[in-house]
Amino acid sequence: MALEDFRRDQERCSECNSCKWIPFDQIKSQRFAIGCPSIAYNNFTGYSARGRFAIGLALNEGRIDLYSDKLQEIVFKCLTCGNCDVAHKVCRYDVEPLDHILEMRKTLTGAGQVLLEHMIYIDHLRKEDNMMLEPKAKRGDWAKGLDVKIATDEPCEVIYHAGCRFSFDEELWPSARSAATILKNAGVDVGIMGKDEACCGSRVHSMGFEGEYRKFAENAIDAWKTQGVKTVVTSCSDCYYAFNRLYPRLGAHFEVLHTVQYLERLIKEGKIKFGKSIPMKVTYHDPCHLGRQGESYVPWDGVAKKIKGQINLFNPPKPRYTGARGVYDAPRNVLKSIPGIELVEMERIREYAWCCGAGGGVRMAYPEFSGWTAAERIEEAKSTGAEAIVTTCGHCERNFLDAVETAGEKMKVLDVVQLVEQTM
Amino acid sequence: MALTKKIYQLFEDIVGPENISNDPVVLASYQNPINRASNHMGPFYDVFTPQAVAVLLPACTEEVSNIIKVCNKYGLKLKAFSTGWSGMGYPCEDDTIQLDLRRMNKIIQIDDKNCFAVIEPYVIAAVLQAELMKYGLNTHNIGAGAQASPLASCAYLGPGPDSVFMGFSNENLLGGEWVLPNGEIVRFGTLGSGSGWHYGEGPGPSVRAVLKGLLGSMGAMGVITKVALKVYPWPGPAVLPVKGTIPAYYTELPDNFKYYTLGFPTWQAFADAQHKIWDAQIGYILHRQFNKMGCDLKAGVIRILTESDRHLNDLEELLEDPEVKRHTEEARHDFEIVLAGMTPRDIEWQEKALEEILAETGGWKVKAMQDPMRNAWGMLYLIRWGHKNLNYLYSGSYEGTAGMSGSPDFGIQHIDKVKAFKQEWDKKGMMVADGGDSSMGSVGVIGGGGGFGWEVHACFDSHSKESVEGTLEFFDAMAKFMKENRLGPEKSKHMEPMRQSDGRATPQEARNKMFGATPFPIVYKYQKKVKDAFDPYDLGDVFYKYSTD
Repeated sequence: MALEDFRRDQERCSECNSCKWIPFDQIKSQRFAIGCPSIAYNNFTGYSARGRFAIGLALNEGRIDLYSDKLQEIVFKCLTCGNCDVAHKVCRYDVEPLDHILEMRKTLTGAGQVLLEHMIYIDHLRKEDNMMLEPKAKRGDWAKGLDVKIATDEPCEVIYHAGCRFSFDEELWPSARSAATILKNAGVDVGIMGKDEACCGSRVHSMGFEGEYRKFAENAIDAWKTQGVKTVVTSCSDCYYAFNRLYPRLGAHFEVLHTVQYLERLIKEGKIKFGKSIPMKVTYHDPCHLGRQGESYVPWDGVAKKIKGQINLFNPPKPRYTGARGVYDAPRNVLKSIPGIELVEMERIREYAWCCGAGGGVRMAYPEFSGWTAAERIEEAKSTGAEAIVTTCGHCERNFLDAVETAGEKMKVLDVVQLVEQTM
Repeated sequence: MALTKKIYQLFEDIVGPENISNDPVVLASYQNPINRASNHMGPFYDVFTPQAVAVLLPACTEEVSNIIKVCNKYGLKLKAFSTGWSGMGYPCEDDTIQLDLRRMNKIIQIDDKNCFAVIEPYVIAAVLQAELMKYGLNTHNIGAGAQASPLASCAYLGPGPDSVFMGFSNENLLGGEWVLPNGEIVRFGTLGSGSGWHYGEGPGPSVRAVLKGLLGSMGAMGVITKVALKVYPWPGPAVLPVKGTIPAYYTELPDNFKYYTLGFPTWQAFADAQHKIWDAQIGYILHRQFNKMGCDLKAGVIRILTESDRHLNDLEELLEDPEVKRHTEEARHDFEIVLAGMTPRDIEWQEKALEEILAETGGWKVKAMQDPMRNAWGMLYLIRWGHKNLNYLYSGSYEGTAGMSGSPDFGIQHIDKVKAFKQEWDKKGMMVADGGDSSMGSVGVIGGGGGFGWEVHACFDSHSKESVEGTLEFFDAMAKFMKENRLGPEKSKHMEPMRQSDGRATPQEARNKMFGATPFPIVYKYQKKVKDAFDPYDLGDVFYKYSTD
């Protein structure tokens, strides 16, 4: 694909503003009606999907210069959360706002229009296989003392992939350790890659660095194939998105489960027994990459056709990623099954959940915007009366932890898996 | 005058550096294909509005006033929009400042005792409705959809699906705050005499007619910064209980709400029922809506929209389904109605009245839309009005073409001719062959009833040169047909008196000719005097319409 291939999308934008809000049907209050953090924070219409379509069209038509600081900022000051995509698709079948912004990023990075802030992380990734600015050698430290197989030494059916955030962010290690331990204790033939695990590439993909993404994706696929892995489990929603939505485009055929899906399965099978009660009112935050972007990849190779004169279709039907089939129920089912937990919902949930602010390289390049986005979500969580915001993604957890600390809030930030382990 | 550094600095001093930009990338995002609110002409014929010299995001009335004063001092034009949905909100001349009013987004007051809400420009209808429902109130939604600004349309006409119960936008305008084209701030209605927001005609200046002109000031007569709007009872839950999987959202409301699609054996029965409904004073929402998808296609499309896994590819197969065929035939002469009972007795009475009207006219409740899921979907659609974008569903572009506002008895005499005319053009394959009748509109275009606003849609593919050119030919032919039959304006050309084909202002002489050539001229020469009096520096543009001939 190239930006020119999105010309139809650019020209078909109806400038209706759907992309700025959550789906109109779902608006319950003014306070929590906005869907797009980028336009909410930056205000000029260029910072919305609608504006980016107009700018993309101007680029395609040569009306603006590719080498522009403002263009860079507009293109990269987007979380690629996909809320615009969902809101659009309540009515539209022929416009792809999320794919468009991703393509704009590829166009800019391809032309060398990269952010210096990003390049610090990209350079590190190239050297150390992670974007956490940590040495590769420390990758497996999170699992020290756990009696879990190392997949490169012993064959295993299930790989638990911790991901960069859980591997290097010590405050989050308990989540990864809990996940690996629960799986193992439930009798799952699980192993980890330890120090040989590498970045999934999802984040660099969203930042427009296609070459880096492909390198890491292809390496992971090759390694898993070599080791006979059947199932990949991860606690990171970004990684889940990479394995579930991106890797199949490169020929990967593994079963991909988020930890919380595996937990739901184990609970149903009676392999997880709950003990003590945890009396706590919690609210659940849907990570973008597990929720609306958590729909599985559907291969498609088709051609355009028309019926009834001018109704545009594809033959066979083109997969429609609306967020409808994201992973929403598994985490909620797990939470509801924990004795004592009371789950209360925020206004913006499931496919129209507000983003945590960590995605798309924004935390790296625009920390204030990233922090503001997280703080908005904490405000929403507080409005429910919950004492904890629970989620299923290390990147979300880190951004929320920082927002809570900055604001001096008392809100707890937890991972679903931690609550499960606490009650076992 | 061009935007010099000195003038830029003056603007920056007013709104702050983060709320002004003349960066080419930002300005490009504010250029609009000239008719983008509806038809896109794609790579072949799309023309962009002239680029503004700067975009400003004011936060309050005083900032707007100061911006206007600077514009007038240095001979700059000004164009403001609330949400920017329509091409009319963008410049049509060089050296124009674009105001984007999105930072003015406060709901200032909801007075539930006196039934009004005070809002700023960027409060959209969906948001206002959600907040009002907490007080047992509701707001009028204009036809443009829940993403539109109720403030913006109060200086226009603003009919909508609920006009039978909640009137037009301009009818709901109470007190308000208006920055004149000379920068002076006028507080009108009761607000102008310090008596609050509750009445539009005073004591205090009464300016509603000036604001509206004959058919709206379209952003060319200063900037309205706050208005009080009359709001209406909402006898439902404080929060719309929305369920379902995208895009098939639906709502299940208490028994005092009923939604029906009503079908009739003939157009005459269709019109008679409308008169009887108005006479009986029943109905909360009254609109012909789903027919916009085309009389031959709507039954299939509704199934696609109400089942989340379905796709447009299913349409042809669905249209062969006997139940869908039955639905199609039952709904040839149809419109939608939502009843909302303020009490159990009220809904009981409204239901009985409706039954009687159906019996007298030979009408029926379209069975397929009584299906619980489709009914709950239709209820949400009509109440929240958040699906305007379905107009683009088929091929990415559409335009209203034949328009026949007036008594339903007028339109029913001609709709079959219009339908037959469009069907002939549909056969050429350049537009979506929807059955010819894709008319939709508000059943109650005068507050409380009395008229029906027919608007026939033509859907086409903006990325097919054949389709665009064929549709443009159709628009010309339809305009001729409408004129010959004295049926009212052909709607695709509604921007022409303001913008030429290059997106720039149409010269006055040409405008005079166009106005004079329409069956129902919608301008007065007197409006020029109003323009001269209120806009001495010519701040606004040609969208404030008048004739000099």
